[in-house]
Amino acid sequence: MITGPATRPYSVTFQPGDTWIGVRLRPEYGVTLWRERLKTAQDTVLRGEDAANLIPELCKATGSEDLSAVIKGRTPVAESRLPRLIDAIHASGGRIRIERLATFAGWSARHLNRVFRDKIGLSVKTYAQLVQFHRTLKLIRLGGLALPAAAYEGGYADQAHLTRAFRRFGGFTPSALPKEISLPTLFPA
Amino acid sequence: MKLGYTIIYVTDVPETVAFYENAFGLTRRFIHESNLYGELDTGDTVLAFAGLEAAEMNGLAIVPNDPKGPAAGWEVCFVTDDVSTAYDRAIASGCAPVSPPADKPWGQTVSYVRDLNGCLVEIASPVTPPA
Repeated sequence: MITGPATRPYSVTFQPGDTWIGVRLRPEYGVTLWRERLKTAQDTVLRGEDAANLIPELCKATGSEDLSAVIKGRTPVAESRLPRLIDAIHASGGRIRIERLATFAGWSARHLNRVFRDKIGLSVKTYAQLVQFHRTLKLIRLGGLALPAAAYEGGYADQAHLTRAFRRFGGFTPSALPKEISLPTLFPA
Repeated sequence: MKLGYTIIYVTDVPETVAFYENAFGLTRRFIHESNLYGELDTGDTVLAFAGLEAAEMNGLAIVPNDPKGPAAGWEVCFVTDDVSTAYDRAIASGCAPVSPPADKPWGQTVSYVRDLNGCLVEIASPVTPPA
């Protein structure tokens, strides 16, 4: 199974006894995985044969080390400034203004957006909105913040905007978070 | 309560610590092996640097400092008796000049530079109380 950059929830069905191994990559490796197909990868999940068509070596992998080797074997198509820009978005909780980020990069806003689309597969705005959602989710779940306080610190105009973002990206409302939820982070804790 | 630490979030902690040693003649206390935190030996109040990653790990949201944009609305001030030597050293070590040493009516010499990350640093003489 190969997942593209996801902006909405999706479900995965499995049988009792199934086990999972996987590798999570930093966002800038989207293009390493998907190459020219990254354009159509948003909210796409390739399973079975479809995944094998994209990366045939995946079928031989039997453990996480094999998986890592497959990824390492693909030539990275990196952009040297991108990791720093991604870090800046995360540090700002998704709240940095795109114009400011473009200045930080020394690029035009237009070029910045193109690099994000080409390498990560998402627009800067969508990426930042996801980071904002993830951080606010953590403010509520880990920080125990009440919803109005979380909306304010998370940078949402009001609680209605917060609720809308949670529905859109997570598929749940902020007042009814799933009991078991893995809180995404760019950096392993 | 007392002021224990001033912590600046930066893109590169080791680079920033080395820059401060060079530009302002300070010495490091330590840099954590993760390279995400480092302290300078600045007396009772520690001047420290943390990586941008640390902001997210601590659940914070911050705007990164940017040498190409206007500085954030706060500064660090180093106090020395010889402001002009310290200012020249800072500029020679890669700080961007903002305002060269100038004597203030209250008897203080004051100058401003911006560091490698665009943070405002003031270099000033001690304030001498009127005789």
